[in-house]
Amino acid sequence: MKSIHKIIIAISICVGASITSCQKLNIAPTNIITPDIIFSSEAGVNAYLANIYRALPIEDFKYRPDGGDDININGVNYSHPGFNPGNPWMNFYCSGAVTGEMVGPFGGMDIGGGFGFWPYGSIRDVNYLIEQLPNHKAQLTEARVNALLGEAHFLRAYFYFGLVKRYGGVPIITKVQDPAAPLSELQVHRDKEQATWDFIGAELDLGYQMMPETSIPGKANRYVAAALKSRAMLYAGCIAKYGSVNFVDGEARSAGYVGIGADKANGYFTAAFDAAKLLEGHYSLYNANADKVQNYVDLFLKSGSPENIFIKQYSINSGTAHSWDDTFSPRYMTANALSRSYPTLDLVQRFTTLQITNVDGTPKRFDNLVDLTAGLEPRLLATVYFPGSTLRGLMFDTQRGIYPSFSGTAAAEVAKQPSQRSYIISGDVNTLYQGKRVIGFTGISTSGDELTRTGFYVRKYIDYNKPKSTVDLYKSEQPWIDLRYAEVLLNRAEAAAELGNTGDALTCINQIRSRAGATSVNNATIDVVRNERCMELAFENHYYWDLKRWRIADVVLDNARFKGLMPYYVFNENKYIFLNETETFGRNYNFEKKYYYEPIPGGELGKNPNLYPNNPNY
Amino acid sequence: MAKTLTCTLIILIIKNLKFKDMKKLMSRVLLGVCMLASAACTKIDNYGGPNASFQGRLIDATTHANFETSQNSIQVQLEQISWSATPTPQFIPSKSDGTFEDTKLFKGTYRIIPKGGAFWPVYDSVKMEITQGSSHDFELTPYVVIKNLTHELVGTTLTLKYDIDAPVVAGLPTIIDTQPYVNTTKLVGAGASIRDYSETRAVAINKEFIDLTPGEKSITLTIPNLISGRKFFARVGVRLNDSFKSSNFSEVIEIDVP
Repeated sequence: MKSIHKIIIAISICVGASITSCQKLNIAPTNIITPDIIFSSEAGVNAYLANIYRALPIEDFKYRPDGGDDININGVNYSHPGFNPGNPWMNFYCSGAVTGEMVGPFGGMDIGGGFGFWPYGSIRDVNYLIEQLPNHKAQLTEARVNALLGEAHFLRAYFYFGLVKRYGGVPIITKVQDPAAPLSELQVHRDKEQATWDFIGAELDLGYQMMPETSIPGKANRYVAAALKSRAMLYAGCIAKYGSVNFVDGEARSAGYVGIGADKANGYFTAAFDAAKLLEGHYSLYNANADKVQNYVDLFLKSGSPENIFIKQYSINSGTAHSWDDTFSPRYMTANALSRSYPTLDLVQRFTTLQITNVDGTPKRFDNLVDLTAGLEPRLLATVYFPGSTLRGLMFDTQRGIYPSFSGTAAAEVAKQPSQRSYIISGDVNTLYQGKRVIGFTGISTSGDELTRTGFYVRKYIDYNKPKSTVDLYKSEQPWIDLRYAEVLLNRAEAAAELGNTGDALTCINQIRSRAGATSVNNATIDVVRNERCMELAFENHYYWDLKRWRIADVVLDNARFKGLMPYYVFNENKYIFLNETETFGRNYNFEKKYYYEPIPGGELGKNPNLYPNNPNY
Repeated sequence: MAKTLTCTLIILIIKNLKFKDMKKLMSRVLLGVCMLASAACTKIDNYGGPNASFQGRLIDATTHANFETSQNSIQVQLEQISWSATPTPQFIPSKSDGTFEDTKLFKGTYRIIPKGGAFWPVYDSVKMEITQGSSHDFELTPYVVIKNLTHELVGTTLTLKYDIDAPVVAGLPTIIDTQPYVNTTKLVGAGASIRDYSETRAVAINKEFIDLTPGEKSITLTIPNLISGRKFFARVGVRLNDSFKSSNFSEVIEIDVP
């Protein structure tokens, strides 16, 4: 009997155990996050979107147009990532520094060939979002899903805009590709350039229609989509108009992968104009301070500005802070590091011709360096630091050298060979001439490039309130304003001028000039509109793309050397003079016509032969 | 492959360092080296080395002499179509005497075309088998021909006079400018010249050839302040607004400044 009991107990244990254990095996894996978990809650979708926003090709403080240093993560070498470079503190490696807005770290046109930007991983993330969202209307509500889909279309357009302005036509992929699909399906053909721009326009229209009117800072709303559309369509219009005159012939061009017919230009300009007009009444120029200089300085630093349409934020806590303050001012005014990029006199002379010579050609004598800035346009003074201006209680005492005495004209002096000039210059701030410093603490030195080579320093975006001791690497948190209303007005003005609507262009330009503290203009020709854009958007990474889309980069950067404003102290007169001279490194800048398009990255060509033909002359 | 091997070897050594017995350690390391060494030898590269060569002349179709070239001007583009349908192009830069040569090429069939200089574009590429000692000459029609170049040195000022002509006028790219190139070596041209005697002495033209008057086709350039007692090499160039913004060059002349 005992044995029977034992058997019954054993059998019941076995059966019981097997029944219960089988139920517990039927659960979802706990170590994998499934789409349901992500897309069925607001928090999950936000986390997913945050990753995509982070990857957006926003050309911000940290963007390296040459790709930047290689970065090494866990022994894997990632080369030339551009938007997330190694050593991301070197903010002075900006596109303005190869185009003559500034001069500095680059030896010349070092960015023309691009860095292999190819964000199809992020595009796949967006495509997956678009595929999944409609399955989760129950949890997220239909209205929210539609708004999120609008955001997804905007984000996808942003990635394609980053691609098309570099390569021309690229494969338009709107579905999540299956890695197991046959190779012939995965190796997608290039689309034509025109089709790519049209796709971007259509995506941004969807974004505008589906997104709400407002958003938290750093995220998109319908007006962000409209603002980006005004920029993108203006680019497309210019490529159609100017790219059909100045181009490099080749197979990719005859197949339409690069280049757009000139007859399409006005359609794009109209689209740009209409998109810009959508923002009217919803955003406005920052005008909170009656002091025009301070107002323009604050525009880039104050949060909640009605001018900010789309911003990118940084924080020290999350390890995303940038180094703009520390790498655009001299070490004299910061706690650490160095600067290497300096505004040119060529940029400054876009605003005004500085009065540095007398009628007879001799240099004007000034009692103090700062006297030169009297009466200059407030926006100019808020964009660059002139010799004599002050930051954190310290003066930009910029001085190229000392003339024991000076006679003759400025032009004759500048034309002389350096060995024939009677000036005293130095590579060391401690060098004295009869008890007087030869060069200032802020330059201009004969050696190294850690002090200005042009006489100027960047002021835009510099947080003047930061105490000197906190101006260090990765300690700057002011947001990057990717889209601001002034640009939208400039997009609108340019499109209007291209379409012959100079009245509207004039209104837009004078709005901007009034805020800048500049005098109004009477005629908004295309040249006036372009020059206004170059002044208003200086150092904001627009100028390189503007030169490219206007197809004048090869003319502007043709063996170009840029100028500086060299302050000298005339010893026997106890006065300062300023000479217009080539920046002290005398670098040459050249733009080859093939750079109007970057080459399709070699690695991608190797994976997908359907990306051939490569762009002309590569 | 070599990297992986080294890594494995290092890991093996580090792992083995835990052993206190040195003999055991050494024998294990040696065993590892032997295993790796034997594994490394199993694959044989069965492709031939780069022992093919290709050379030739770039011939000026108007004079049948070698084309006047300079640094960064004409390149011969080679695409090895026997290797891939979409090969990565490789380039042989022309030498300063208008010839080109590459002695380290892989044997195979190539599609070849000269590019980059101031000549009417060649659209028919040459398809040929390149082996040891292959050669091919390309006849090119220059955009602009520089004729009657004379020079005169007065003191330290050099005056260059020349005429420009175009073998084919219809469709010629706009002429941007003309400039002297002066250098202290025979290698003189774009990118190899003294700026103060060259780029700064350029004369802008920015006109179509057909719109030039006979006077504008006769050009005089002056270069002041040459250094006494030095030998210079000079030539002139005319730059055209084609895809490459390339220049046609004159022959090189030698100038001794007394």
